[in-house]
Amino acid sequence: MDLGLKGKVALVTGAGSQTGFGKGIALTLAKEGCDIIVIDKDGEGAKKTAAEIEALGRQSMALQADVTKSAEVNKAVKTALGKFGKIDILVNNAGASTPPKSFVEKTEEEWEPDINLNLKAVFICTKAVLPQMLERKSGKIINISSGVGTMGLANSSIYSAAKAGVMAFTKALAKEVIGKGVNVNSVSPGLGDTGFLRSSNVIKTVETPPEFTKHVNMDIPVGRMTTPQDIGSMTAFLASDVSGDIVGQVFDVDGGKIIKF
Amino acid sequence: MELGLKGKIALVTGAGSQIGFGKAIALQLAKEGCDVIINDLDLEGAKQTAAEVEKLGRKSMAIKGDVTSVPEWEAMVKTILEKFGRIDILVNNAGGCTPPRPFLQMTDKDWDFDINVNLKSTRNGTKTVLPHMIKQKSGKIVNITSGAGIHGGMFTAGYAAAKAGIIAFSMGVAKEAAPEGINVNCVSPGVANTGFAKNAPPGLIENFPKTLPIKRLTTAQDIANGVTFLVSDAASDIVGQVLVISGGVTP
Repeated sequence: MDLGLKGKVALVTGAGSQTGFGKGIALTLAKEGCDIIVIDKDGEGAKKTAAEIEALGRQSMALQADVTKSAEVNKAVKTALGKFGKIDILVNNAGASTPPKSFVEKTEEEWEPDINLNLKAVFICTKAVLPQMLERKSGKIINISSGVGTMGLANSSIYSAAKAGVMAFTKALAKEVIGKGVNVNSVSPGLGDTGFLRSSNVIKTVETPPEFTKHVNMDIPVGRMTTPQDIGSMTAFLASDVSGDIVGQVFDVDGGKIIKF
Repeated sequence: MELGLKGKIALVTGAGSQIGFGKAIALQLAKEGCDVIINDLDLEGAKQTAAEVEKLGRKSMAIKGDVTSVPEWEAMVKTILEKFGRIDILVNNAGGCTPPRPFLQMTDKDWDFDINVNLKSTRNGTKTVLPHMIKQKSGKIVNITSGAGIHGGMFTAGYAAAKAGIIAFSMGVAKEAAPEGINVNCVSPGVANTGFAKNAPPGLIENFPKTLPIKRLTTAQDIANGVTFLVSDAASDIVGQVLVISGGVTP
């Protein structure tokens, strides 16, 4: 299927991790013909991803920026626009959770890191990229939420709230901007064997990674974890010309994990 | 995007209407390299769609069958398997709605029609085709539901109940079938100017786009694109979901 993505410019946040969804999204979009701006707090990781995009024959640019800081994001977006002239696709993928901790033990200071990185960053990056989409009356924004935002995850109450916020933000913004040619949607991944999972305390509940994987997979109807390619495919579909009538939706790409309950 | 659909065998129900979702789905799948079997109660319509599939260089077959009847499903599937050997993709698209009227004015007959044409037909198709997919350890089923099944339909209570039933049915079967390598999902179209709209109140189709943020109706091609993505290799991690394609009208 021709997705009409050739020559589009995409910005993917948090695509520096070499095992994450962001890199899967960036590479899938590049294979469809997009040039990609890779933003990550980890500048070295961003460069590695950018090099792989260039190896696919597309242009890329690695930019180091903390997506929770509007000054850094604005600067990065300005640099990107200076080189590419436009950003057609924004994928707000950057996110992470603080270590699991019971709600009563959580302090007020611990509210901000989860909310800022997962929800406020979506606000900041969208604010920086959307105006030139509205000017051109064309654009696609895909926000990566999480099944945790739908289901709620014990001991990750703030992260859960932030991800649910991403979904509601997506729906509200979608209604505001679809009349101006911009589609906003969300992809909600299930459990992936990404840095996110590896760094969480969940993985320490069993002795070895293979056991952990087996344990996790048993709880997913499709029998495997979600891959960066799964998320990349759905994101590319939502970023494409063929999904123009899809507005303000949240899609679970999770092997049936959510409906399992 | 390479969808991996080349050489797959698809069955689309209710694809005889020349302005409906079913035909657009059939033609898009054919463009992606599928051979497509066209079911409809209206055999002449099915033949027209089948001829267009063949024009795209793919094999096709028009097959008449009442999707509310289990014996007719069994006969259809037997015929298809004899000719094509397998069914990789089933799109339960056939549906219909009794003329809109307040719930208290709906007759038992209206109820039976709405439930049978939309929900029981989907159950019948899945029941008949799924065993073959399980044997193959692969398959894709997409059931066409409706925004009415998500937010309710005024004056279409029976239809809305049937379409909500399709969603719950799909989620349930999806969980059972996923370990067998089969993906079951739904597509929920928005308001479109298909044959289905002939029962809509006067002026609705003309005026509806003005009320939508996107300012246009859903097209058959919109739905075909969504179905095609869901039945592809690229969507293998999507299980029991409802892909809403409605220009933002459905929550």
